Amino acid sequence: MKGLFKSKPRTPAEVVRQTRDLLLYVQRASDTRESKREEKQMSELGKNIRELKSILYGNSESEPVAEACAKLTDEFFKENTLRLLILCLPKLNLEARKDATQVVANLQRQQVQSRLIASDYLEANIDLMDVLISGYENTDMALHYGAMLRECIRHQSVARYVLESQHMKKFFDYIQLPNFDIAADAAATFKELLTRHKSTVAEFLSKNYDWFFAEYNSKLLESSNYITRRQAIKLLGDILLDRSNSAVMTRYVSSRDNLRILMNLLRETSKSIQIEAFHVFKLFAANQNKPTDIIGILIANRSKLLRLFADFKTDKEDQEFEADKAQVVREIASLEPREP
Amino acid sequence: MAHEEEEPKRVVQYPLDLESYKILDKVGASPCAVVYKAVCVPMNSTVVAIKAINLDQAWWWQSKPPPLSHPNVLNALCSFTDDQHLWLVMPFMSAGSLQSIISSSFPDGLSEPCIAIILKQTLTALSFLHTQQHTHRDIKPGNILIDSNGSVKLSFFGLLASIYQALRSTRQGWSTLLADAPYWRAPEVIHSQQGYTVKADIWSFGITALELAHGRPPLSSSNHNNFSKAFKEMVASCLHQDPSKRPSAETLLKHSFFENCGGLDFLVKNVLQGLPSLEQRFKGSKINIHAPLRSKNREVGDSSCSSGRQSIEQRRISSWSFNEDEFELDPVYPTDSTDSVVKKVRFGGETILMETGELIPSLSRQVLEKATQVDYYSEAKNIMSNIEVMVETLVTLMRSLDVQRATVTAGMVQLRGEEGGEVSNEELMAQVIERQRVELENETKSMSELEMELLVLKLQVGSYDGRSCGAD
Repeated sequence: MKGLFKSKPRTPAEVVRQTRDLLLYVQRASDTRESKREEKQMSELGKNIRELKSILYGNSESEPVAEACAKLTDEFFKENTLRLLILCLPKLNLEARKDATQVVANLQRQQVQSRLIASDYLEANIDLMDVLISGYENTDMALHYGAMLRECIRHQSVARYVLESQHMKKFFDYIQLPNFDIAADAAATFKELLTRHKSTVAEFLSKNYDWFFAEYNSKLLESSNYITRRQAIKLLGDILLDRSNSAVMTRYVSSRDNLRILMNLLRETSKSIQIEAFHVFKLFAANQNKPTDIIGILIANRSKLLRLFADFKTDKEDQEFEADKAQVVREIASLEPREP
Repeated sequence: MAHEEEEPKRVVQYPLDLESYKILDKVGASPCAVVYKAVCVPMNSTVVAIKAINLDQAWWWQSKPPPLSHPNVLNALCSFTDDQHLWLVMPFMSAGSLQSIISSSFPDGLSEPCIAIILKQTLTALSFLHTQQHTHRDIKPGNILIDSNGSVKLSFFGLLASIYQALRSTRQGWSTLLADAPYWRAPEVIHSQQGYTVKADIWSFGITALELAHGRPPLSSSNHNNFSKAFKEMVASCLHQDPSKRPSAETLLKHSFFENCGGLDFLVKNVLQGLPSLEQRFKGSKINIHAPLRSKNREVGDSSCSSGRQSIEQRRISSWSFNEDEFELDPVYPTDSTDSVVKKVRFGGETILMETGELIPSLSRQVLEKATQVDYYSEAKNIMSNIEVMVETLVTLMRSLDVQRATVTAGMVQLRGEEGGEVSNEELMAQVIERQRVELENETKSMSELEMELLVLKLQVGSYDGRSCGAD
């Protein structure tokens, strides 16, 4: 161990190796209470992680050097450094955790010989995602693990794993946690999962349509929590209005239950929710193959809806919105009852 | 994973429900948020500040980065939501923000030695944030807080920044939202829609320095202008139009202006002593509606509940340039604009002509008022006074109509009375009557036009009431 702490300038690979050795030590020494020796190892580890960060991000004197970054990345993923770092993160102090989070985030984007080797590593160690996601249940770790998680799901294969895992159901609860920071972080991850990789998302939504939208409606859109409803209706609009999800959209706007929920959101006192709800509601009205029961509901509520839209304005002039509104009004006004 | 009780530092978790806090007093307010002094009952009644932000007025928000620990950065202790409000619990900084200190007790600005102490600590915080890959996005006197011992903290909540930032992501884009360029934003942030960089923070830092020195927006010339060369230079370097030419926070710290900077006790002695309490100041500020610093106005213009739209035709200010001699900002007008009202006039030239006394020509004052004073109150007041003027005009018109009608009637009577008189006289009278009738018609028309205007104004006032959102 003695030769480890020479103050000679070290290569990026050496810094990685030393970090790994220290992590191994910290992991093993988990049971003993803080001894002097352990403290020293900890502070050494903190310094190494900070050095990794400054190689990857540069510092006030120098910009990052691509070659050094590549060497570092290569060495980092050659062995199980990422797993060690993630598992030991709760033992590090706050500063070291933040540095480690930034290092892990940055590594996801580093290419070695024009390959994202982080993606390969994660595919082989996909169970690490389970650790990161369960971080939302731990107040101290949630924001660090959450930030790492969001970087990892930039890789399509990783996002697909998370989407199809049992964890997906837990997000409906995570985004309503009382701690706003953690809830907002989980919401950001949830949104990323459902919007970043178009084809994967479309496939996921088609396969899991029934349970996903049942949960989405009852837990999020009908939540008693304003913030949850507000974020959920916005995200729903983003999802349904995305061209790649057109099949899901068509299915969604053919359901009378969904229409009922959206019409309730249109009646909210919150302007922001009303406006977002309108962007989803317009899809029901614009649908050229409206099922009979949808037409029936729209006709039954025609005068109420038209009255609502008459006073419906955004705070700032928005021509697109006005055009959409005019079309919806025309569409509803011209509806004729159909024989069932 | 066995990682219980390994926490070295961050131990205390503040409760996440409103019931645990007892609110004592209101100590600050902006259209979208209210700040309270409160105690956290389960935590031995620790005094805290709680900021309640109405999220219904934010376009969108985002999780904030993991908390940062730095002696000059003020973080939230915890945050939670309650219906439409986000509650941010923060340490209570007893001297409050510089915005509040200046508007209550230093209307002509702080002295240079005090400014140096404050700015140095602010820069330390900023430099720390920048090395952590964060941009602050909202450096202003209202976000620099002072504790009773004189220590300065820059408040930083990733969340707040995103509320403001969200303005740019609205559907109709950013440039149309504000008729004029807000002077506290770096020119590149306004003109290129590219992201916010650390150098934009430096611009706002320079503006903040000016505001501390003048005690008001650095647009109107203030009474004093005898600042040191080092100070002027330091500010000028921050306000370089080209962001790449602005120094980094770290470099700025080495500027000669910050050499021989005093200690915290100097600040306590020269600024904090005798300062009214935050509660008193807040109560006082309600009477003094026109706060001298921007934040009051600015938050209106800046947040999503802004009144951005105004129909007044005036010159648009496209950006601001720093005038180092005057130690203030000069507006710059678009040179290639299609707007016919725009003239290529710079105030520099005009001020020379004015020579003494009023350094700001009246034209510029109008523009400045528009740029800086868009708070609801004064706008509504303007409209109200407009209406008063309008009503007065209408009354006068009515009177003049009465007089004219009387003249016409008299003429008619005269006409009838002198039937069979000279034809020429009758012709004359007919001409007079004709003229009077035309005049009467014109007056009636203009009166109905004025009535229409009055109606429109009333409607506007009505919509103001509807829009005065979370201000109270």
